[in-house]
Amino acid sequence: MLGFMDYVQKAFLEASNWNQDNSYSTLTATAQALLDFETPRGLRLNVSSLASPKFASSYTIGTVGLVDGSLSYLYSSLPLEARFKSSEIDLHHVIQGYRQLQDLRQPDQSWWWEVWHKGKRVDRRDALLYGRLFLPQSTLEALYLRRLSPSRQLKISAVSDARLPNGGTILTLLQNDFGKYSTEYLYSTDSALLGVRGLYNFGPDPRTATSADVQAEPVYGRFSAGAELYYGLLNKSGGMSTGIRFTTLPQHTGFPYTMTLTLNPLMGNLSSTYAVKAGQNLALCSRFDFNFYSYESDLQLGCELWRRRGPNAEVEWASKMLRPDWERPAVRPDGDVAGVLKARVDQNWRAGVLWEGRIRELLFTLGTSFDLKRRDHIFRAVGVELQYST
Amino acid sequence: MAFNFNWSPLIADTSRARDMLTTALNKSPKPPIIVDDILVTELNLGSVPPELEILEIGDLAEDRFRGIFKMSYTGDAFLTLKTRVQANPLNTYLSTKPSFASPQPLAASSGLTIPLQITLSDIRLSGFVILVFSRQKGLTLVFRNDPLESLKVSSTFDSIPFVRDYLQKEIEGQLRVLFMEDLPAILHQLSLRLWSPDYRELDNSNGLQEGNKDGTIPIDPLSSPPQNPVDGFGNPITDSETSPFFLDDSTQTHASFSQKNLLRLGALAQSHRTLSLFTPGIREAVFRAWAGTTESKEHSGAATPALTLSSFSRAHSSMGLSTLSSAYSASDGVESGPSSSSRPTLSSFNSAIGHGLTLGANRSRAHAQRKRKRRVVNLRKDKNDDNASDTASITTGASTPAPSVIVSEPLPEREEDLVTPPRSPAKNVRFSARRQSGEYAADSPARSPRARPSTAEYPAQENIKLSLPPQKHLSPDAKPVHESTTSSAARSRPPLRLHHPTPSTSAIPLLRTLSAEKLPFTTTAQPVDPFSPSSSSGGILEQAWMMKMANEIARKVQDEKRRQSQASNESAGFWEMPPPAYSSV
Repeated sequence: MLGFMDYVQKAFLEASNWNQDNSYSTLTATAQALLDFETPRGLRLNVSSLASPKFASSYTIGTVGLVDGSLSYLYSSLPLEARFKSSEIDLHHVIQGYRQLQDLRQPDQSWWWEVWHKGKRVDRRDALLYGRLFLPQSTLEALYLRRLSPSRQLKISAVSDARLPNGGTILTLLQNDFGKYSTEYLYSTDSALLGVRGLYNFGPDPRTATSADVQAEPVYGRFSAGAELYYGLLNKSGGMSTGIRFTTLPQHTGFPYTMTLTLNPLMGNLSSTYAVKAGQNLALCSRFDFNFYSYESDLQLGCELWRRRGPNAEVEWASKMLRPDWERPAVRPDGDVAGVLKARVDQNWRAGVLWEGRIRELLFTLGTSFDLKRRDHIFRAVGVELQYST
Repeated sequence: MAFNFNWSPLIADTSRARDMLTTALNKSPKPPIIVDDILVTELNLGSVPPELEILEIGDLAEDRFRGIFKMSYTGDAFLTLKTRVQANPLNTYLSTKPSFASPQPLAASSGLTIPLQITLSDIRLSGFVILVFSRQKGLTLVFRNDPLESLKVSSTFDSIPFVRDYLQKEIEGQLRVLFMEDLPAILHQLSLRLWSPDYRELDNSNGLQEGNKDGTIPIDPLSSPPQNPVDGFGNPITDSETSPFFLDDSTQTHASFSQKNLLRLGALAQSHRTLSLFTPGIREAVFRAWAGTTESKEHSGAATPALTLSSFSRAHSSMGLSTLSSAYSASDGVESGPSSSSRPTLSSFNSAIGHGLTLGANRSRAHAQRKRKRRVVNLRKDKNDDNASDTASITTGASTPAPSVIVSEPLPEREEDLVTPPRSPAKNVRFSARRQSGEYAADSPARSPRARPSTAEYPAQENIKLSLPPQKHLSPDAKPVHESTTSSAARSRPPLRLHHPTPSTSAIPLLRTLSAEKLPFTTTAQPVDPFSPSSSSGGILEQAWMMKMANEIARKVQDEKRRQSQASNESAGFWEMPPPAYSSV
């Protein structure tokens, strides 16, 4: 489940029309959500609030070892309109599961953003500032996000921690999304790492396509290919990978599925994932890793099960008798969701289970990871996370 | 004299050593590049033994040995390790970084673990080794300095320069740690398993890895007597039986000090170092506060041995350097008669400084006793030219007539002298001697803790006493010795070395090292000793260092001599001087 601040940042991106999915770094987002979810450790409480549409604060206290916690604040120049109360948040937005990609959208024209007032341009670029202080470790995380243009975004994230070499690290990431393709350039102060990522979508170009074309020939799936390249200037080492993905689009009539294949030619690592949304409530995912240098392989399976509330039998007869013009109680968009169960297991019988949902006003995450091979010490971590936000 | 070091049996079976090495290597947190346990697959000590140059032997008997060596090794030993490493630099690089500011590559950081075989060969070692062996307490080996000079690391990745250099660097670092910290522990354990089955359940943490301030990890197996000694057939051995086997009889500490008193004395000594206003009252002791430990260095030796933490470090912890801390000797000789090695080294300097009382006496005495069996062998040459005294100071038998206290020039450089500690049987002698010197002891303020005259008051002492054979050998010498000690202006210290050639001869062990703490060696890592952490006593270790310091000390001695000539008049003042604090050096 997304933390409150992550959710706010996601809301900012959505509000500023930034497509997160069109990036090479999110090529395997579905598999990661279904297989690599983190199980909480210990007890963690999170109280947050969006005090104004532009300002949010969040406080976390946890018991991992000793009591620790964090304070975080966020400022967005763009008013955020989404619902942030924990009693109202749409669980579909905060629970990451099978990710259904949408049609590519033509990027905004830059002149759309222009605001003129008395002959002067008065529009400002949207920006987001975020800081988080961890106590008692005294670690500071900071994030600066700025939409430079409709197709460009700058993201600077920094961590300050006395235990890190040089006291911290800064990552600068410049992202371009032109719909048809996207590129990212990054620089990390840590060992002066340079990186480039790119993703290209085959198929019709959203920038030139007209609505007539789309209706005439609906596209059922999308094929994307990308690559990434890193090089550390200081340690003279690098890395790269390439990947392809095929995913169905909403127009697809069958069940949605996503397939990816990534290859790291330097390290000989080949990884293929296949995720399928087998029904409205069920998504399955598998991943197979193989290294053709070391002949090591790994298999992971995961699933996601949405539990929905059935109609309340006791009052169902009564609600049926309501006349159409009578006022009905407001239904939340996820009102039928009772919770989501995620589970994964790998070939070494290490497994993880996560149960996410809402109890009254609280969002909770209950999870455990265990190792079935070790009888004496099966449970490796058990944890509960509670979130409350207003 | 010749030593026969038998190298070949060491080569024979290294499986246990391999296991221990494996454990030691996996104990410390590994760098992220190593993703699996490190397995020692092959360990061959080679056919070329290390070259050992004996610098000093502090104690030598069939069942025990103490010595300091200069070791150099250029043999053909090799060690093969197997592990698995992460070959993707990006993976290891990211694993140590916070995820918030990480580039989060999609698949570029996917791991490639490669089995790695590392062979360490061409190991070049050279350094000073302190070796202490006792059948009861096992083998202690400590490197005085970082012994690793060079080694050759050959691995699967020799063709990749970056990886090769990295491995070379990492492994050298790890090996240094291994030599300085892990190896002594391993050897000690190994020896305990070999010779003392009782120690098998002793876990490593029990004092094997106590580090002292300068990073060398001394282990003082001598400080812990076997908990349940048994003989070869598994029959329990009583204290009195085992005592002759102790390197320095471990019971003596407990005999001289009850646990309670040790705690009190420790508290008293600690009170110097803290702002605590509480000083435990100890009868017949006058407590005089110091301004600081540094000052104590200046007025070395003279007084209150009992008040220093150091003084508690057991006599046996001083590794085989016979100390004649003459300053202490008056009380010590009385108290802890049986005591062990007297160290001429540091304490003698101090004493010389403190009072210009005679150290020369022993020299003459030594000469007289040349015929007797020598327990102490000084293998080193006297390095100090300015020291006129012959280094041969080999002290022997208790049979020496009452030592004449000769006021002669102090011998600061006497560190070379090695005196074998006399053993426990002498204890009874001690008591008798103490009684005689009781009056004397009482009036000297400093001697308090140790000089408790009446043994009856201290249960611990009494117990020990009971276990001892009653008055077996009450040496006739004892009396004269002490008398002479006291008579010689009482403040003059007793003869430097009086030692028994053999434990059986009831000797009058006059001297006991109280200054053992100064020596960086021998941390008494044993729970029994409440002062262990602070009192890192040293022994032979000091030697190497000492030589460097000799010149400086000699100069000091001259000054002190001048001073002391005046001081000798006010003899009472000597005892108020704090004991030396070498630990700060």
